[in-house]
Amino acid sequence: MNIWVQQIIQVIISGIITASAYAIMGIGLSVIYGISRVFNFAYGSFFTWGAYFAWSLFAMFSWMNYPLVFLIVLPGMFFLGMATERVVVRSLRWREHWQVTTMMVTLGLAFFMDNLAHIVFGHRAKPLPPIFKGNLNPFGFTLSVQDLAMLIIAISIIIIFGLFLSKTRLGRSMQAISQDMTGAEIVGIPIRKVFSYTFGLSTALVGMGGILLAPRYFISPLGGWDPFFRVFVIVAFGGLGSIKGTLYAALILAIFEALISWGLGATWVMPFWFLVFLGVLAFRPTGLMGTWG
Amino acid sequence: MQSRRELLIIFISIYIILLILPVFIHDDAYITGVLITCMVWGTVASVWNFTMGYAGIFTFGQFGFFVVAAYTSGMVTKYLGISPWIGILSGGCMAGLVGILIGLPCMKLKGAYIALITFALHLVVGPLIKVGDPIGTGGSTGLMSIPTLKLGGYIFSRTQLIPWYFVALVISFLILLAVYKIIFSSVGLGFIGLRDSEDFAKTLGINEYKYKLMVFGLSAFLTGIIGGFYAHYAGIISPRLLGLDIFLMVMLMLIIGGMGIFPGAFLGGFIIFFLNELLRPLASYRFLIFGAIVVVAIKYMPEGILGNLDFFKKLTKKILFRKTIVPE
Repeated sequence: MNIWVQQIIQVIISGIITASAYAIMGIGLSVIYGISRVFNFAYGSFFTWGAYFAWSLFAMFSWMNYPLVFLIVLPGMFFLGMATERVVVRSLRWREHWQVTTMMVTLGLAFFMDNLAHIVFGHRAKPLPPIFKGNLNPFGFTLSVQDLAMLIIAISIIIIFGLFLSKTRLGRSMQAISQDMTGAEIVGIPIRKVFSYTFGLSTALVGMGGILLAPRYFISPLGGWDPFFRVFVIVAFGGLGSIKGTLYAALILAIFEALISWGLGATWVMPFWFLVFLGVLAFRPTGLMGTWG
Repeated sequence: MQSRRELLIIFISIYIILLILPVFIHDDAYITGVLITCMVWGTVASVWNFTMGYAGIFTFGQFGFFVVAAYTSGMVTKYLGISPWIGILSGGCMAGLVGILIGLPCMKLKGAYIALITFALHLVVGPLIKVGDPIGTGGSTGLMSIPTLKLGGYIFSRTQLIPWYFVALVISFLILLAVYKIIFSSVGLGFIGLRDSEDFAKTLGINEYKYKLMVFGLSAFLTGIIGGFYAHYAGIISPRLLGLDIFLMVMLMLIIGGMGIFPGAFLGGFIIFFLNELLRPLASYRFLIFGAIVVVAIKYMPEGILGNLDFFKKLTKKILFRKTIVPE
């Protein structure tokens, strides 16, 4: 096979794998905006903190393994998110311009969390051990087992989340709120409770994304901002509040990102994301599949 | 809500104090430097307050404009040998242009989206500067040895800070005066109308498109002027100006000073900057505290210091009243 074609396919595969992690985080961001209309600027910090929690578990206990880490960190992140909603966001909701006020508050929170991470863990970047070691060589391509595991975990999370939204009572009430908040309140859905569950859920999802991406990139106190911005562009591109749109957008943009960083160099990746963002907002602010904005 | 006269008195008295202050500080380089930085960031915060508090457009891109203007002014004077004063003006115009360009896609958008697109501008200017090394931006190390200001035959030196102090005073005064004039003109009333009740303002014949673009252009231009000044004052500018720490500090000035109340942000600038200097021994804990202050201040004191002016008036009256009671 032509070496160029092979290389491009390799790049696209790595794009798809990154896309899977972006998709999980994108769903978290999309859900929280779609349901509770909160834009969480501390999302990137939760990303970092998820990874740091996992790292400290590995550092504290030598016998620690990944299933156990997921079992401890994800509920932990869920409760952290719920607590954040309770303490920081909830009382602002009924104020004037509360959407922007919550943005400012979460920005302050992000700053607090980043500096706390800096104080607790230091500025040196921390690695997480890979989930699996080794490589596979199907049809002459190299594919690490780690990446494959990431893809499988991410896809299964997405499927579980989809089932959760359509089959469970909580998931359906979330959908109801995102469609019509007042209507949902009238039929007796406890919207405040659902808001705080939503916040917890999205935090758990971004923590998951942090753990999955940490073996690839390193964890550092400010390392959450880059993925946060990318995920945000993905969500805007796909349409805030639309999960299907987020999935497509993650796939398209992550593949383009991989191609650009392979073809033009890594410095062009951020300008690329910004251009996509400007283009989306200028020509189609509702995104690919957004219903409202 | 405070009356226009009260706000004007506060505004003028801040500047009178600033005008007299050099007599007491005897050219102490450290304090003068801190005061100049206060004025620069306080001005940025004030213009931000104009867009956010008065026009109700939630932009997070003020630093993008600031840095664009600083780089424009620095590069124009450094490579083309143009007078720094024209450089500062061209920096302002460049920032205004960028402001209008960013404003155009914002026309269709509402609240939260505008905040996000302008924040994205903030995030992307840094990488663009790093990529722009071949055209002379200096990359990530920054733009070095920017020419200093000249006035008549006098050349400003970087060791003698008092002349800089007065230039900063004049520039920030002019910018704040412009903001004041706009806020309390018919145009400003238009902004406030659009902020409070968009549909109603539109039915009264206020052209939303024109006004919003004007806010973007004007605020970017005014921020750009002070940005251009900063480039010549500092002599070195780097993408680090876009760091989150400065962003948060200026946002805190806005919150503490009082959003939507005219000289509040400028006053907040001094409070935050002196707090910053006081907390300096705490090293990295300082920013932890600042982050916490943002959260606490928004939660418990959303209107800032000037918003709670009545409270402080009552407090001083109470104290005075007690003093008169004591002799009994």
